[in-house]
Amino acid sequence: MPAHPASATTTIPLPPRGRTRVASFLVPAGIAALIIWSWHGTHFDLMSLLGADGRAQMLTYARKLFPPDLSTDLLLKVAYWSLETFAMSFMGTLLSVAIALILVFPASRNLVFSGVLFEVDEAGRPVRLARLGLYVFARAALNLLRTVPHIVWALIFVFAVGLGPFPGVLALGLHTGGILGKLFAEVVEDIETQPLEALQSTGASRFQIFVYGVLPRVLPQFLAYSLYRWEVNIREAIILGYVGAGGLGQQVQIAISLFLENKLLTLILAIYVMVTVVDYLSAYLRRRLL
Amino acid sequence: MPSNPSLAALPFSHRSKSHFPILFGICFAVAFMGSWQLAQIQPGLLFETEGRRNIAKFITGMFPPDLSPEFLRFLVVPLFETIQISVMGTVLAVAIGFPLGLLGTASLAYTGILHEVEIGGSRARRLTRALPYILVRSVLSVFRCIPEFVWAFMFVRAVGLGPFPGVLAIGISYGGMLGKVYSEILENLAVQPSEALQATGASRWKVLLYGMLPHAMPQLVSYTLYRWECAVRASAILGFIGAGGLGQQIELSMRMFNFHEVITLVLILFLLVAAVDFLSAKARKAIV
Amino acid sequence: MYRLEGVTKVFDGTLIAVNNVDLKIGRGEKVAAIGPSGAGKTTLFRMLNLTVRLTSGRLWIAGQEVSNLRGARLRELRRKIGTVYQQHNLVPRLRVIHNVLAGRLGVWSLPQALRSLIRPREVDVRVAHQALSQVSIPEKLWARTDELSGGQQQRVAIARVLLQNPEVILADEPVSSVDPTLAHGIVKLLVELSANFHKTLVMNLHSVDLALAYFPRILGFRDGQVAFDRSPNEISDDLLTALYAGSVTGAPPEDAPHAVEPVPSCTPILPS
Repeated sequence: MPAHPASATTTIPLPPRGRTRVASFLVPAGIAALIIWSWHGTHFDLMSLLGADGRAQMLTYARKLFPPDLSTDLLLKVAYWSLETFAMSFMGTLLSVAIALILVFPASRNLVFSGVLFEVDEAGRPVRLARLGLYVFARAALNLLRTVPHIVWALIFVFAVGLGPFPGVLALGLHTGGILGKLFAEVVEDIETQPLEALQSTGASRFQIFVYGVLPRVLPQFLAYSLYRWEVNIREAIILGYVGAGGLGQQVQIAISLFLENKLLTLILAIYVMVTVVDYLSAYLRRRLL
Repeated sequence: MPSNPSLAALPFSHRSKSHFPILFGICFAVAFMGSWQLAQIQPGLLFETEGRRNIAKFITGMFPPDLSPEFLRFLVVPLFETIQISVMGTVLAVAIGFPLGLLGTASLAYTGILHEVEIGGSRARRLTRALPYILVRSVLSVFRCIPEFVWAFMFVRAVGLGPFPGVLAIGISYGGMLGKVYSEILENLAVQPSEALQATGASRWKVLLYGMLPHAMPQLVSYTLYRWECAVRASAILGFIGAGGLGQQIELSMRMFNFHEVITLVLILFLLVAAVDFLSAKARKAIV
Repeated sequence: MYRLEGVTKVFDGTLIAVNNVDLKIGRGEKVAAIGPSGAGKTTLFRMLNLTVRLTSGRLWIAGQEVSNLRGARLRELRRKIGTVYQQHNLVPRLRVIHNVLAGRLGVWSLPQALRSLIRPREVDVRVAHQALSQVSIPEKLWARTDELSGGQQQRVAIARVLLQNPEVILADEPVSSVDPTLAHGIVKLLVELSANFHKTLVMNLHSVDLALAYFPRILGFRDGQVAFDRSPNEISDDLLTALYAGSVTGAPPEDAPHAVEPVPSCTPILPS
């Protein structure tokens, strides 16, 4: 940065030339180009939505939605479906936590093959290779679980075990298990090493170090992530219903295909309530347990 | 909660909080058992011959993945579509979330140092300022608590199939999320710079522009980029219900049991998400 | 310039920060306020610069009574009062020039303000540079504010006040967070600026020595009231001892503004 000797009528310093003119032009231009291209490609047409025609259509549709169908018969069924969706998200999250906990040990670098627990290590080459292999395998498994969209998992399991919320539980469990597993492993890899060194010097085995040194430190963070994930899962449980995993999602699909708009509104209200409840529960538990 | 003096004399402390673990345990057990029933969990199904056969069929069907040039070329359009949906969806979400987020910021709307002298104790005036705030907050809540999938369904009815309803669905539901998080970021800013700016006679808008936004910009952009990453995944999923992109292709391939195509699509999706993650991480580092 | 009658500020119905203060400060006067922490000086300042509302009493600033001021007229009056705070009152991520030009926000329209953030006008750059020269840091014009030291940041804050060109300068413990060796320099700077530009100066000081050295009129505050109002040679050691005796310990901080720099609580920024 140009620095001039301090004197009251000195030449005024120029703005810093951190990035060249071209560079600081490229980024906004690039973003603008991306947006324009996307605008085009998605046939983004606000007019069709907000223009006279579009508005009229939306208004007619909105009018068809009201009033929500509040007959006792339907309300009872909706309550059941809501609980079904809740159950799906709940069990799915639990399953994912179980999977993540199983895979986190081998998927954490500092527990499997590198870091302070392995510095003074006389294991032979084959053992070391096996450990590395274990790590790679665990990480790959987590990646696989995460990458396959939950909806694809759901389709697979519907294919395997039939319709209903069970395939939804499996799908959520596997997919979220991959996500949580990676997050858990990152938490484990980030912990301080001194307490582990101390434990190691007392002659504790690696597994003991994990249980006494690592787990107490990471469990609160695990719990926090799991609760956050539950908030996401309740929404995903609804999406999975579309492919046959039951619950409110499936009912939404049925209501739309059969043009039962009043029922649809009731379902939407139930969804809103369900999601809000889970959000609150998750926040409450996070406050209380952490 | 003050503990009863006589209880405090006991060797172990009996604070009223001690009921919580038991209560929690009971609730958890009930929830677990109830959910097991409701979700119709039957692990046995996975191991029945039918189930195992289907899974095996699926896994063997996936390999080798279809990597033929025609198929790959064919996938370019859906791939672009997914990217485009995520970009436009995020843009729309910012367009919705940013103004609503500003209006839903308590420290701008009706409390805090920016309003001390003007509102002070007058309850009536405080209320009239709080009303739009409450309204905006409720709207944001509705936007974000209804999953994009439901929004997409409704928009497909309103504007037809294709990527557009997907954009709208992501725009609205993510707009709700962005709005809420933006307002939280702004509300948590240090208050002194704003107080100083206000003392120079600046109006609320200028205090916002000079004092709050530059301060908050890294956090705002960072979260927006994170939302874009989520939008990429979401637009793939919305494809399932006809909103175009890779998701729609996955659905088609699954329906026709072309598992070798499915795995290719999943691989492409994986690469796309990884690329977006990478870009967004770089961008976030550059902002600071 | 300032006229206070029975000015009182009570927080939350119970905490009396300022108690029935009567005071007159003329134009161009230089006044220092001293006293123990918790004596109500900062609260008084925040009433004097129209940040905080009076609980009771009346206040006139430049002949204008302030109780019913709102909107544009309130801002207009605020513009006439320039404040230098103890610390943290600049926007850290902005460049120094923007923080200095922020002094003009009371005058600029919103589009002008926006334009200046993107690319300040030539004339504004010159003016800002001049102001920074007067506080001896002209070379920092384009530096990022958070890269400056505490003493330099205070100078930037003073430069901002210069741009605002108010009729009165309020300085609330401007040197308490600054290296003691620099404190004299900054106090002297403010006193000179006030003299050269005919501005009223009211300064809240922790250090009695600085007050006695530079100010012709000294207000002693204690328990929310004016304990004495004298010139330095009328102030005896006994008077000072009495003022600071048994300083109100355990008194809640005078509405110390909270500085929390955290992350949004709700939706997490989680990779997945």
